Formats: sequence, structure tokens, C-alpha cells
Amino acid sequence: MIVFIVRRFLLLLLTMVLVSVAVFMIAEWSPGNIAKNVLGAFITPEQEASFLKQNGFDKSMPTRYLYWVAGNDWIASGKIGMPLKKQITDKGFEEWWAVDDDGSLLRWKVDGDTLVAIRKKDDGTTEEFKDDSRWTAIDGGKHEFWGVDTQNHAVRWVKGDTEKVWVFVMGSGWVESSGGPKEYIPLKKGFVRGDPGISFRTGRPVAKSLFVRLRNSVVLAGCAFAIVMPLALLLGMIAGLREGSFKDRFLSIGGMMFSVVPEFATGIFLTLIFSMWLGWLPGASVLGDAAPWEKPMMLVLPVLTLTLIELGYVLRITRASMVEVMKSPYIRTAFLKGLPYKQVVMKHAVKNALIAPITVIMLHVNWLLGGIVIVEVVFGYPGLGAYLLDSALYKDFNALEAGAMIMVTVAVGTQLIADIIYTFLNPRIRYA
Amino acid sequence: MPDTTKTTPVPADAVETDNTENGSNGAAAEAEKQPGRLRETVSILLSSKTALVGFVIVAFWVGVAVFAPYLTEYSPFDQDWKAPNKGPSAEHILGTDELGRDLWARLIYGARVVLVVMPVNDNVVLPGGTAIWGVVVALIVGAFLGLVSGYKGGWIDEITMRLLDAMMAIPVILLYLIIVAAIGASAVNVVIAITIVGVPGIARLVRSLTLDIKTREYIRAAETRGESAWYIMFVEILPNTRGPIIIDAMLRIGYAIFAMGTLGFLGIGMPPPSPDWGSMVAKGRAFILMGSPWAALWPSLAIASLVVGLNLLADGIREESMRYQ
Repeated sequence: MIVFIVRRFLLLLLTMVLVSVAVFMIAEWSPGNIAKNVLGAFITPEQEASFLKQNGFDKSMPTRYLYWVAGNDWIASGKIGMPLKKQITDKGFEEWWAVDDDGSLLRWKVDGDTLVAIRKKDDGTTEEFKDDSRWTAIDGGKHEFWGVDTQNHAVRWVKGDTEKVWVFVMGSGWVESSGGPKEYIPLKKGFVRGDPGISFRTGRPVAKSLFVRLRNSVVLAGCAFAIVMPLALLLGMIAGLREGSFKDRFLSIGGMMFSVVPEFATGIFLTLIFSMWLGWLPGASVLGDAAPWEKPMMLVLPVLTLTLIELGYVLRITRASMVEVMKSPYIRTAFLKGLPYKQVVMKHAVKNALIAPITVIMLHVNWLLGGIVIVEVVFGYPGLGAYLLDSALYKDFNALEAGAMIMVTVAVGTQLIADIIYTFLNPRIRYA
Repeated sequence: MPDTTKTTPVPADAVETDNTENGSNGAAAEAEKQPGRLRETVSILLSSKTALVGFVIVAFWVGVAVFAPYLTEYSPFDQDWKAPNKGPSAEHILGTDELGRDLWARLIYGARVVLVVMPVNDNVVLPGGTAIWGVVVALIVGAFLGLVSGYKGGWIDEITMRLLDAMMAIPVILLYLIIVAAIGASAVNVVIAITIVGVPGIARLVRSLTLDIKTREYIRAAETRGESAWYIMFVEILPNTRGPIIIDAMLRIGYAIFAMGTLGFLGIGMPPPSPDWGSMVAKGRAFILMGSPWAALWPSLAIASLVVGLNLLADGIREESMRYQ
């Protein structure tokens, strides 16, 4: 049993690695447009190249993948020769600093040929001073320096080179600046260490917005799940008790209809009925910064839509399983023994009929996730799905990849749980 | 581990039925060659109310899609800026959208894009609906992978299957989002997206069929004759897998329509202004609360009725043909 679980777990890890490579490769196939999305459609090729360079898109795919997964602060730290530290400002932006020997925080900028250091003291005040002693001589009589700039990159500056680059400054957008930066490493801690990077769309750390979005989605899915499961299992069993009866036909055809109709169509129908004609419920989930449980009315229609779609699917599987069990010899034996109908159903049939649905439902989480994305878009619900769509359309890679990996983790994780539950429910399974 | 793809056992003759009803590929001609089968098919259809209802709905949509140009005087692109967001009237039987385009025209041309033609670009239009193409391409790729990994076995099989398992672990919607983020929106890309999502399931199915068939004696015979591996795979094995594959494909067409609608709704399907049900809903949604629900209602109804029709048809046929056995 333990061996089985461990093996399944290792397989899960392997899947995750493969998936992360796949997600990364497909998503970053053509990074070109992200520059246009951030800088506007009329940027020059130089600006675009500058932007791509500063965000690490000029690096090779394997390097980018490594940075994305495991971060690059340790690489940059080796080049700078000082430990690096990440701080989150009051406004929710990230700041990277190099830690000096005495524990104070340092960043640099280049002004002409002069290296200017910015020191942040413990009380939060900053001071600037000339720091030319840090230049190191390289071939050709030039001087270079690896340091942290004010835009959270590790930068290799070369003294005297004054190429123009386009730099993003919070508050004033993209401005031209000079100072001879040659190579950039956009600092991040990496996905496995909890820092998927900065969102290009908002300029804030992805991890923070992702958490709120994930919470909202979990509330939505949790509500739907809590309603669907008992209801669908119950209805499915009622339908499966007597195959071909009116109840059975009604429930299974009704369930089929709800489960095959695309989520957005169901969402539209419900909006039309409940918010346009009846005027009972809001047609869009406007939450602002509020948590979903603070405005429960906003949750009703999204949850209802998800419920209807999932209900049909679970119902049909439970029904099929129940029908099969009711036909099995041990049920006939139980009846022939003279046991009352109720007892046969409750004691003999239900338990066995539940094995198949429970695992299949877990595997169905993949589809549930798809449903959540659509439902969130239909009702403008600020969840993970809507966030992913926005990120995908904007080509906000850091956000897209992080969100995608979370979704994949949920999907693969539930499959593992399903496998484990199955072995408990069905002792006939050998853990081969 | 149970497969997530919903495969349902349907006998081979039921499949032929499905094909004739869709009228989309050349299977109708094949069925006509066998009058006995056709009659059997029709009798199945008539004896099951469910199947008949499904057939009528599907036939309606195939009909309006094929004859779309003769069923409306408007083109799906004509804008009438004097009458935006109007309800049904004598001039526009289903009303107009936010640009004053006739909704009936857009609806039936939308059906055409799904079922009858695939616009590759402004000049090239392929016969066969976009959804159909998605399924066909997925079949070709999936069948190839499944055949090779099933017949060759060993490390080829191991690597292919691990990769496909990883693909299946990615939620479908996520694949769509990532693919479209990478390659943009067009009819060809919709086909690519449907293909990538469909391939793992088909490859698994074909692989398991291949594993079964490859132990048969006629394969042994071919190997003894000294036929090449490719000959055995594509001439001996592939034709014998067609029954279950065609059944699977039928179910996939329904899902491909679903997928097209979803992609369109997310704004990553057909590029505007092409008449696409999903994007019509997405556009029309904004005007529901402003009092003109028509632009969102009709395409929602259209896609819902078409997929429900397809499923009713499949369900009915399956039940009937199981009763005969």
C-alpha cells in the first residue's frame, strides 16, 4: 500500500515536471507580443528588444525555465558577491536589495560614468552616495560592475558605454535612460520557492493576486461541490433503482441536457431568467475587494450554473453504477432471501454503487476547472479562471504560468487522491 | 485508472446512422451501398422517440447550415447602424445585434462555420466544418501515435504514453488558454487546439485496440510473410480498428462544437467579424442588462440545442440498438 502510494506520488511529480515544461514551452513560444501589450502597439524594434532583454526573454529557453522554476537570485548573488534580499513595499510592490556587510541594504544606478549607490537604513530612510570603488577592470580598458538596479534586475554595467535603454518607472511608465547596462537578470525566487515573478499587467507580485483569486475560486467551487454531491448521488440512485421507469428517463435525460450544454449558454439562460425577467438576483458578480462570503447574493448565480452542469454528469454516472449493481447476483440473492426492499437498497446496493462515482467524480475535477473558468467569465467573478484568461490574452507569462501550474496541481493532486480512495473503497484492487 | 474520455459502446451499424444524419462526410454514400443497413438504421431511428427528436434537431441545423445563403437576404456582416440591438421584427426575424447585424443571418452562417465550411483565411475556404476538421486532424495524429506506440512497444511506447498522460493531466481549458495565448486566434488555430486536446484520448484508444489486434493470427501471418512494420500497422491493423474509432469520433464532434463555442466565448476562437456562436454570446452578454437579450439568447439556444440534439440522437440509438441485441 505504502509502495503504491509512493509510486503514484513519484509519477505525479514526473507528470508535474513534464507539464511545467509543456506549459512553459507553449506559453513562451513567441514572446514578441508581450512587449507590444505593455509598451503599446507603436514601439520601435529597439524598444522592444530592450524590453525583452530586461525581462530575460533574450535568454535561452532552458535558462528561462530554470529561472522560472528555481529562481535566479542565487545566480545573481554569486555574480554580485553579496547576498540579496526581497522586500515588499507598503503598496504591494517588490523591491530587491543587496545586503552589505554591515546589514544595510544597497542598490545602484549609473549616472554618466559615476556609480551611485542607494543605501536603505533600518528605519526605512535612503541615502545616495558615489560608489566608484566598486568598478572592476576588464579587457579593453573598460570597467564593469554587477549590481542590483532600482528596477529589480541584477545588472552588469559597463563604464563608458551609454546605450539608451527603455526603463519602466513606477508612476511614470516607460522612460528612456542611459548608463551602459549590458546584461540583465530579472530577479525572482522561482515558482517552487513561492515567487512566480511580477505580473506584467499589474506590476505587482503574481503570488499575491493569485492567492486572492484562488481563494475566491475555491469558495465558488466549494459551494457548488457541497450542493452537487449529495443531490446528484441521491438523484442518481433514485434514477438507477428502476431502470427505464419514468423517473429514470426524466432524470437522466434532464441531467444529460444540463451537462452537455456549454457553461456559458447555461449562464446566459440563468441570467436572463433570474436577473432580467424575475429581477431576483444580480446578473454579475461585482465583488471589488470584498471576499465572496461578504456578498453571498453575488455567489448564487455562478454556483447555480456550476451546480446544474456538474449535477447532470455525476447523476448519470451514479445512475449507471446503480443500474449495474441492481442487476448483480448478490442483490437478487438478497431479495430472494426475503429481505425487505429498503434494506436491500440501503445495505447492499448503495455502498457498492458509490465506488465508481466517487472516483470518477475526482477525475472529473479537470472538467470542473474548465467550467469554473467559463462561469467566472460569464459572471465577471474575480476568480482564478478569469485571472488566467486575462493573463493569457495579455501574454502575462508569469501570471499565466503560475496560475496554470496551480490548476494542474489541483487536477493532478485530485487524481492521486482518487486513486488512493479507490484502493480503500475497493479492496479487490491490487497495488501493482 | 478509468479513462476520462466518455466512450460509449455503440455497435457499428449505429455509427453509420450517425454519419448519415450529420451528412457532413461521405459516409452517407457508403450507407446507401448497403440498403439493408440503411433500412435498419431508419427503423432504429423511428422506433426511438429520443433518437428521432435528436435527429430532427441535428438535421435542422445541418439543413440551415448547408442552405444558409438561400435562407436569408442579409449577409452576416451587413451593418445597419440605424437599428442596433432590436428585438424580433418583420424585417429581422430574430432581431439585430449591437452593430445592427441580422441575428438570423449570423446564426445560420455561424452554424455553417461549425458544420459545413472552414474559413482558413480571407480567400481560402475548405469544405467540412471547423469542428469536423478538428476531429479529423485529431484522429489522424492520435491514430498514428497510438498505432506506433502500440505496435512497436518498448521505450517508444513508454515515452509516448508518459507524454500523453502529462497532456491529459492538464485541464482542457488551460490547454486552450495557453495554446491560444501562444499562437493567436483563427480558424486554423481552433482546429489545432481541438486537435491537441483530442489527441491523447484517441491515441490511448488506438493503442489499446492495436495491442489487442497485434496478437491476432493474420498479423502473425503478415509478419511471417516479411511485411514491413509500416505495412502491418497501416494496412493490417488500422482498418480493423475503425469501428470503435468512428464511434469515438462521433462523440468528439459533439465535444468539438462545445469547444468551439467555449473558445469563441472566451474571445479566443474565430477572429471577428466572422459569425461565431460563442463570440456572439460574449458580445451580446454586455447588452442583456441593458434590456436587449436577443444577441446573447439566440446563439446560446442554438449551441445548446445542437449539442443536446447530438446527444439525444446518440443516446437513443445506443438504447435501441442495445435492445436489439
